[in-house]
Amino acid sequence: MAPRPFNLIAELSYRCPLRCPYCSNPLNYAEVRETLDAEAWGQVMREASAMGVVHVGLTGGEPTVRTDLDEIVAAAADAQLFTHLVTSGMPIDPDGLGRLARAGLRSVQLSFQDSLATESDRIAGTACFERKLAIARATRELGLPLVVNVVLHRHNLARVREIIALARQLDAERLELANTQYHGWALENREGLLPSREQLDTAAKIVREERGRPGPEILYVLPDYFSNRPKPCMGGWGRKNIVVAPDGTVLPCQAAASLPGLEFWRVSGERDLAACWSQAPGMNRYRGESWMPEPCRSCEQRGRDFGGCRCQAFHLTGDAGATDPACELSPHHDRVVAARTECDLDPPLRPRGSTGN
Amino acid sequence: MSEVLSPDDFAATLRTIGEERYHHRHPFNQRMHAGELSQRALRSWVANRYYYQTRIPIKDGMILTKSPEAAFRREWVQRIHDHDGEQPGEGGLELWLRLAQAAGLERARVEAFEDVLPGVRRACDAYVDFVNSHDLLESVAASLTELFAGFIMHTRIAAFEKHYPWVNASGLDYFKSRTVKAPRDSHYGLAFVTQHAQTRNDQQRCAAALRRKCEILWSLLDAVERATSRPRLAGHALLRDEPDGSQVVVLSERAVRIAGSGGEILSLCNGERSGNDVALAMTERHPQALRCAEDAHDFLDEMAAAGALRFDPEPA
Repeated sequence: MAPRPFNLIAELSYRCPLRCPYCSNPLNYAEVRETLDAEAWGQVMREASAMGVVHVGLTGGEPTVRTDLDEIVAAAADAQLFTHLVTSGMPIDPDGLGRLARAGLRSVQLSFQDSLATESDRIAGTACFERKLAIARATRELGLPLVVNVVLHRHNLARVREIIALARQLDAERLELANTQYHGWALENREGLLPSREQLDTAAKIVREERGRPGPEILYVLPDYFSNRPKPCMGGWGRKNIVVAPDGTVLPCQAAASLPGLEFWRVSGERDLAACWSQAPGMNRYRGESWMPEPCRSCEQRGRDFGGCRCQAFHLTGDAGATDPACELSPHHDRVVAARTECDLDPPLRPRGSTGN
Repeated sequence: MSEVLSPDDFAATLRTIGEERYHHRHPFNQRMHAGELSQRALRSWVANRYYYQTRIPIKDGMILTKSPEAAFRREWVQRIHDHDGEQPGEGGLELWLRLAQAAGLERARVEAFEDVLPGVRRACDAYVDFVNSHDLLESVAASLTELFAGFIMHTRIAAFEKHYPWVNASGLDYFKSRTVKAPRDSHYGLAFVTQHAQTRNDQQRCAAALRRKCEILWSLLDAVERATSRPRLAGHALLRDEPDGSQVVVLSERAVRIAGSGGEILSLCNGERSGNDVALAMTERHPQALRCAEDAHDFLDEMAAAGALRFDPEPA
C-alpha cells in the first residue's frame, strides 16, 4: 500500500515573469500544457484531502499568473487544506492578495533574489523588487504569516546579513536561505552559480550569529555539493509529498519528469489522484528500499536520507537508481568533489527560458 | 578571526551580548516595567522566579568546588551567604519570600514551589546543569548576566512603586539589595573572566556561556508569559480532524498532531482563559490524573514553539 501523502505541491502554471537562472522547473517547461482548469484543480484538492493531505503549496512557475487562482484557493480551503501561496510577488498586486485571503489563503512565501534591489532585479531578469516589498507589506497587513525565501549562490552569499535584515524588517515569520540545488536550470548554470567553501562557511557563521537575535526563524540549507551526505530529497520518493504538474501529471518531485523511462500518470476522468499516486509505475520505481543499490542497501542512514536525490543521481551518473553522488560513500562522489572547484570559473549566466547559446 | 581580543574589547563583546540578549528586552519584563501586568500575572512571576533564586546558591556551591584558589573561594562564598543569610530569617531568599508575601502570596506555598511552571523548572535546572558540566571560566562567564542586573533593578523598583502600589513597599528590599550587590559581584566576575580567558578560544567559550545564560533567563520568562496570557489558536492555523478521531493543527511549514488530552486542552484555549486557567480547568476536570496541570503547560509550550498558538496579554 502506498504511504499517506501529507503535502500537495500544486504546480498551477510553469509560466513566470521572472527569469532566474536557477529555476527548478523542467528545461522544457514551455512544452508542458496547462490542462487543468479551476474545476479540475478543485477536484485534485478534494481527492488529496480525502487521501490525508493536510497542506497545499500553490506554486509554479508563478501561480499568480492564473486568473482563476481565487477559485482554486477557495476550493482548497473548502477541502480543509492549509493553503500556502509560493510566489515571486508578480504579477499579483496587494488587491489580488486581499482577494486570495478572503478566498481562504492562510500563508505566503515570497521569493527575493537578493537584498539589493539592483541585484535582485538583475538575477530575476526584470524589475520586481519594489513589487515584492509591496506584497510583503500587504501580506502582514492582512495578518498572514510571511515566509521569505532567498536562493543563495556565489553572487549573493556575501549579503546574507543584509538578507536577514530585510526579512526582519519585513516581519517575516521564517526565512529560508536555500543554497541552490543543482537541478534544471541551476544545473545548466552550475559553473556560474556554485559558491566557494569559504563563502558558505562565512555565511553559516553569520546565520549562527543572527539566529540568536529576535526575528524570523532562519533555515539555512547547505548545498548537497558541500555536505558529504545526501539530503532526504522530498522526504523520500512518493512518501510524503505529492506533486501535480500543470498538465495534471502526478510526480514524486518537481524534477522527476526529467528522468527518462519512468511512466507517470495524469489525473483524468478515468484515473483519480489516489490511483496516480499509488499505482503509476514511475511512482513505485523508487518507493521504499527494495530498489536501493549498495552502499545504500546496507547503510544505516537509508531510512533517514532514502538514498538521496534520484534526479541528482541521474544527472551526475546517468543512472537514476544509483546512490546520490552527494554522498561520500557513493562511488561517484569524486564528480561532486571535482565540481567544487568550479567557483573559480566565471561564465555568463543563462536566464531561464533562453535557448541554445 | 582567531586573534585574542584585548581585555577591554573582550569586555565590550560581553556587554554587547547582554545589550542584545539579556531579558530586559523580553516582552514580559517590558510589560512589567510599563505597568501592564495583571495582578495575578505579577504574582505568578514572583512565585516562579523564587525557584530561580533557590538555584543560585546551589550553582554557586558548584562553582566553589571548581576553583583551586583560596582567594577566589573566599570572594565567591560571599554570594552564598548573600542568598542564604548568616542565619535563618536573613539573606536574599528570605527577602524574596517577603516580596512574595508583600504581593499577597502565601509564603509556604511559594517555598514549596507549588506554582512553579514546568518550563521554569526546566530553565532553572538547565542553568545548574550548565554549571555542573562546564569549567570554572565558563561558569563564571555565565554569571555575568549580573552586569545588567543592576540597572534592571532600578527600573523595577520604580515600576513597582508607580504601577503596583498593592505590593507593600517592604517587599522591595530584595531589589534594593541587588542594586548594590549585583554590580559588585559582576565587577569581580568580569575581572576574573577577562583575566583568565587568555586565548581566543577561551574568549569564545565565555561568550557562548553568557549567550546560553541569556537564553535560559529568556525561556524562564517565556514560560511565565505563556502561563499568564491567554492562548488561542493562531489565526492562520487550520485545525483538522484525522480519520482515527485525533486532530491535527496545520501551519505553513509544519503540522502538529494533537493526541491524548491535547484536543481537550486546545478546546479550553478560547482567548479568555490564561494558560494557568487552562491548566487549572484541566485539573478540575480530571481530579484523579497525575501531573495534569504540568501536562497542560507542557502542551501549551509545545504548541507555542510550533507557532500554533497566539498568546494575548491579560489586561492589567
